[in-house]
Amino acid sequence: MAEINLKITTDIIVRFISDSIRKNGFTNGIIGVSGGIDSAIVLDLTVKALGKDNTFALLMPYRTSSPESLSDGKTICDKLGVNYEIIDITPSIDPYFEKYPTDNKTLIGNKCARERMSVLYDFSERKKALVVGTSNKTEILIGYSTLFGDSAAAFLPIGDLYKTEVIELAKYLGIPDPIISKKPSADLWMDQTDEGEIGFKYEILDKILYDMVDLRLTEKEMIGSGFKKEDLQKIQKMITGTQFKRTMPPITKIHNRTVGLDFRYPRDWNK
Amino acid sequence: MKARIIQFSPALGNIEANFEYHKLKIIDAVKDGIDLIIFPELSLSGYQLKDIIYDISRERIDKVLVGLMELSKNIDIVAGLPYEESPGMIYNSVIYFSEGEIIHNHKKVQLPNFGIFEEEMIFKAGENFKTFRIGNLNAGILICREILFPINAYLYFLQNTDIIIAVSNSPHRGMGEDGFSSHKLWERLGEVYSINFHQNFIFCNRTGFEDGIGFGGGSFYAAPGKGIVKMGKYYEEQVIDMVINKDDIRRSKISSNYLRDEKPDIILKELNRIIHG
Repeated sequence: MAEINLKITTDIIVRFISDSIRKNGFTNGIIGVSGGIDSAIVLDLTVKALGKDNTFALLMPYRTSSPESLSDGKTICDKLGVNYEIIDITPSIDPYFEKYPTDNKTLIGNKCARERMSVLYDFSERKKALVVGTSNKTEILIGYSTLFGDSAAAFLPIGDLYKTEVIELAKYLGIPDPIISKKPSADLWMDQTDEGEIGFKYEILDKILYDMVDLRLTEKEMIGSGFKKEDLQKIQKMITGTQFKRTMPPITKIHNRTVGLDFRYPRDWNK
Repeated sequence: MKARIIQFSPALGNIEANFEYHKLKIIDAVKDGIDLIIFPELSLSGYQLKDIIYDISRERIDKVLVGLMELSKNIDIVAGLPYEESPGMIYNSVIYFSEGEIIHNHKKVQLPNFGIFEEEMIFKAGENFKTFRIGNLNAGILICREILFPINAYLYFLQNTDIIIAVSNSPHRGMGEDGFSSHKLWERLGEVYSINFHQNFIFCNRTGFEDGIGFGGGSFYAAPGKGIVKMGKYYEEQVIDMVINKDDIRRSKISSNYLRDEKPDIILKELNRIIHG
């Protein structure tokens, strides 16, 4: 993978955050801080763009969340001087599963992700702050997110950075080491790790995604440079199978002009 | 001649707000004794117009054109806008205003239509690279992707231009260790055209974001025989002033006269052979 210029990348993202907030008529941004590296750097970059007084953080643990996640979340907020609120989502989650019990961890994880989204958007209105998303390019491409959950945001400042680039950027920004060095985890259940769940180390996954997507290398070329055919096919399947998470739901065409098809306006319309 | 580049971020689709911004900058430039003020490609409309283009009526455009003609009584103006020549026939135009009139309207010939670009969806392509006069200077206009085809600048070169005004809406892309590779596209050709084609080459690019796409700025002035002599900042709104000196062209040609040594008749013969066999 090509190295990226971290100084310029930081500069562009900070400008993008500032521009996105301003052109939508806001001055504040709100971020769900998990204690992980993605939300830590988005918080840092948002503070750089808007100032600490215009940046709010929400820490939203569930009863099974690791205590370390909460303390790391507090650490980054304190380091950046950002006001935060801790909202335990357990009372919103557990009554539902008491009525509709399940052992399926994905169901519980998705429910938690959507509850966090719901709280974030509630606070977005309360604080008059736009929700700044924390999805990175790796998870967007393989669809490693909960639809209408953690992927929901007004804009995505690090959405074109692979996870390994996020880690490099975190070091450059001086994010505290425990946040950088711990194993990335969605923390949707105990001992969950991203790499365990996805089935690939980020280092390999990002190299494959970069070659496939950014360099448009063919499968033959990639096998020639040492990647395994079955890995490439697995990853291609992840990308293809999760395209629905990256697009608006299709509308069947009836009239002359249909939203999303030939009613074509930019999001920044008149801004 | 004193020229000024306005590197800025237009509001997408809001031509009235953009006109007001142009007006403020034009009034400032007149106060500062500037002869020519240059705004980027589609400076009055923004870039990713999609269906907005059909909502910008000819009446709205006409009002802006009249406003700029009026302002051009005191200063020459280069501005970009979607120009609807006849109903539904819309060009990506860059217009030169001077002494209360439209002196030249260059309609973009090469419309990019790949990746993030979809200009052929909304614009009709222009068909020529004609020159016009700015006082004692012979001038030509290039718009964004046109700059990247050296044959276009060559056509102006053969028409003995002294100045090429090149305006752009170039999105930055291709991040690497040294930053975005897209900046180099323009700077490389600015060096070539100013040195090998003896041109005063003015590159005016916009800044800001539209739907996540960032525009890189990095406007510059390259002097005949010298290459880039004045470089603007990347990403930031900026005003960049320069002085165009016609004598630089003569000096550049004396030093190594590429125009005199050109063989356009041979080029034409070869083109005929290549195209028609």
